Parts: sequence; structure tokens; C-alpha cells
Amino acid sequence: MRDAALIGPYLPDDVLAWDRGAPRSAQQFLADVSGLVETLPDRPAVLNLATNRYDFLVGFAAAILRRQVTLLPQNRAPQATRLVAGDYPGSYALTDRDNAIEGLECVSFESGGVDATWTGDIPLVPLNQVVAIAFTSGSTGRPRPNPKTWEALTAVAHATGARLGTKSGDRAVVLATVPHQHMFGLEASVMLPIMHGLVMHAGRPLFPADIRSALGNVAGRWILVTTPLHLRACVAEGLAVPDGGLILSATAPLARRLAEEAERQFQAAVHEIFGFAEAGSIAERRTIDGDRWRLLDGVRVVRDQSSYVVQAGYLPAAVRIPDRVTVDAEGTFIVHGRETDQVNVAGHRVSLGDLNQKLQEIDGVQDGIFFLPDEEADGVTRLMAFVVAPGKSSEDIQRELRTHIDPVFLPRPLVCVPSLPRNATGKLPREAVNDLVRDWLETQGHGA
Amino acid sequence: MEQPGSSLLEQDVAKLVVHTLKLKIDPATIAPESALFGEGLGLDSIDALELSLAISHTYGYQLKSSDPEIKSIFSSLRALAGAIQKNRTK
Repeated sequence: MRDAALIGPYLPDDVLAWDRGAPRSAQQFLADVSGLVETLPDRPAVLNLATNRYDFLVGFAAAILRRQVTLLPQNRAPQATRLVAGDYPGSYALTDRDNAIEGLECVSFESGGVDATWTGDIPLVPLNQVVAIAFTSGSTGRPRPNPKTWEALTAVAHATGARLGTKSGDRAVVLATVPHQHMFGLEASVMLPIMHGLVMHAGRPLFPADIRSALGNVAGRWILVTTPLHLRACVAEGLAVPDGGLILSATAPLARRLAEEAERQFQAAVHEIFGFAEAGSIAERRTIDGDRWRLLDGVRVVRDQSSYVVQAGYLPAAVRIPDRVTVDAEGTFIVHGRETDQVNVAGHRVSLGDLNQKLQEIDGVQDGIFFLPDEEADGVTRLMAFVVAPGKSSEDIQRELRTHIDPVFLPRPLVCVPSLPRNATGKLPREAVNDLVRDWLETQGHGA
Repeated sequence: MEQPGSSLLEQDVAKLVVHTLKLKIDPATIAPESALFGEGLGLDSIDALELSLAISHTYGYQLKSSDPEIKSIFSSLRALAGAIQKNRTK
């Protein structure tokens, strides 16, 4: 059986992570992992909820060595986490701060601080081992599992690094504003650095001033793994950053003007990754060079009836691309937009059918529909919902929704109506929903 | 209807919050002591990022997560207005 090392080219004393203002060397990391390996319960699957990226990595690595699969729920809401756990009997949650979830067996730990050394070899991991399962939202209302082998994660990390010109041992610091539990975050902020001997920053800065303080201490090269939202904030604040950077954005398309502005202001190349949880990262572009996405090495896109699918040696089967794309003879492609059921809010993708089902399952809700208004040029466009629930207030329903769906998808506003304009077949035509929205906005006197 | 006991700055910050986040509510209905995030107005980290930009532009105050008081700053309109009062440069 073929296998690959748990981490890339590090010497024992090379810095692998920068955690809470202090370096963790590769051998300290391996010691942290081996310490946790001893204490994990003997179970098949673990929900790694660690908020600190280094804790997450130590937990992820320990689970891999214990042959436990790490479950990555798409959604932070407690009920959604419990739903995933319920599908994997015997699973438990690994937490690092006060983030235990009621109704789940939680193992709490915080790594680091112990000055341990590691004298063994770097552990090897079978390439065909399923190390993680990323969940996506399907129109059925159940989270859909997408198993990830060690081969898939390492292959994407190497292909991404090759495309970005990441040199093993150039010691770049990788700082990320995205969560490590999401597929792009796992690939770009965890796997990319540890496969290339880079320094993974354990923090997750939110505000531009946080990014400045984190990068302010970096002497050499850096990579900022982020989203168009965070990048827009950094540009608007006129953030000052050290030279030698590269910016990697994903989760939503980056406007070319913003990319140009960021390149000029930060003296850093701005690259984007195109991917989705089902297949992982599949393509890259330097935004200022144009709209076309270039496939990562080892990935092919082929036509399958009315849509396109992704093929790669590390994918067990072809995966359908959830966006409408056109592919040219060279294999580069343009993305035209999402398939109708899928929406993207602030970089998070979700199925409207899934949200509608969760809404309609709430006690007292007779009917209900989520709706994404036409996107505005600036800022984040949020979902709205129209609900038929006699005797319930919109606050009641919001409170219930909050336990089932990610906060980013909570409707703004949630409007209670006497009925929905369903047609004879029970469908809600988009025009009818548009009318509903327009009527509501007029009665509210907020025509904007 | 203004909230009883809300200061002028609190009213301005309420307007800034509603305008920046395009909330479909009347700023005057935000109670100064009630929660902005989670159960209250239901704001999230994306809102925090948007708000931080607006606060920086309007008041010259740059929010930081490393600020030990960041949680309490965002706890209510009153706390946010208080932090702006203390740190504003314009």
C-alpha cells in the first residue's frame, strides 16, 4: 500500500506553526500529536471543533494516526453538528476552548506549552485512508458526506503549491481569515503549509487591524488565505503590510478592480482558487489576468450531458461542478453562475431547498420560503424568508432556525405572511416571490 | 420613538449599524442595552467586519480582536458607543 508523510520537508527544529505568539517546531508538533494520540477515545469518527488552527491541526493529525475520520460539518449551528454526529454512531467532538456542544460527548484539549521533543521518524499515512469527510448542503435537507482521502488532500496541496510557485523551505508564513473546518480553509491554510514546510499561523484574524498585527511580525514571505470580503475590508482600511506577500482568495468571485487595488496597495500577487467541497480546489487564476480559470495539475473537466464534471486520479468518481461553466479547448473555463438551487452568502454556499426544508420542519410553520434578493454591488446580500406560521412571531421562528442553520444564512428579515402565492402545481414562481418582496418593501417604506 | 435614556452618540451609532448592515428596522427601536449579536439583533462576524469599517471611517477608531474588551465592546449598542467615545479620533 502506498503512503505519504504526515508533514512535508521540515528539519526537526524548523518552525511549523506560529501559535499564540510563539513558534512550534516540527518536532514539538510531532510530540504534541503523539501526546494526544495516547489520550483520544477509541472511536471511529471525530468532529474536530477546535477554534485555534494549531489545536485543529494537532487534533486532525492525531485522529489520522488513530485511523479516525475527521468530520467537518458545513455548518456551525449546534443542531446541524448533532445531526452529523447522529449519522456517525460512536463519534465524539474534540474541542479546545469553551466550545463544547450539549448532547455530544466532548473531549477538550489545548495543545502547546509543553517543551517536548520527538526523536522518531515522521509518521506515514496510507494514501487511500479516508481522513476527513466534508459535508455539503443538499436539496434533500440532509448533510451530504464527501469523503477525502489522504491522497486527495496531499495531491491538492502539492498542485496548489506548484501553481503558486511555493518553494519548499522558503519559510513563508501562512495566515488565514477562513475557518480551517471548511474545505478551502483545510486545503489552503492547513494542508498547503504543512506539505511545503511553511509556517502555519494558528490565528484567525477578523479585522484588518488583526491582519496587520499578525503580518507585522513576519520578516520573510507571507501568504494570506482569505475571501473577497476580508480583502475588501483590508483595501478600504489602507492596510500596511510588509513586502513579500501573496494573497490567495476563494469562496466567492473576486472583482477584478478589487484585485488590482489589492495588488497595488499590498505589492502582492492576488490569486484565486476555484473549488467546492465535493471535489476540493480544482483551478486557479491570477485575478488581474482575466476571467479564465486554469485547472490544477492532475484535474480534468469533461462534459457530461448538460453539465460538466471534474475528474482526478484521487477522486473515486467524477464530481459534478455545481456552477454553470463553459470550457475551451485548452481546458480553461469561465464560471457563469450557480445552479438555481444553490446560493452563496458571504462566501458560504447552501442549497435553498435545504434551508426551505429546515424552515418548514419548524413546529407551527405551515409554509415558508427562503429567497436571495438581487445582489447589491457593495456589501453582503443576505437571504430573506417569508413564512406562514399563524400564532408565531418572527422572533420565535428565528430563534428556532438559529439552532439548525449557520448564522450567515439567517433571514434578514423573516417576514410572516398569511399565505404564499403558490401556483396550481404548488410551485412558487420567481416572479411571484419578487412581487411578494416588492409589496413588502413598499409597505415597510424602505424602498432601497 | 427614541429609546428612553439613549445618548446622542448612541442614536448616531444605531443609525450607522442599521445603515451599514442594511437592516430593515428603525434605528430608534434598538434598545441600548440589548444584545447586538447572537440572540439580540442576530449579527455575526461578517457584520462585525462591515461595522468595523464603518466605525473606522466615521470615527477613526480601528477595532482589533486582540483588544481584551472586544467581546464587551460588541455586547450592546451602549457598550459600542462607549468604546467609540473613548477611542474616537474624529
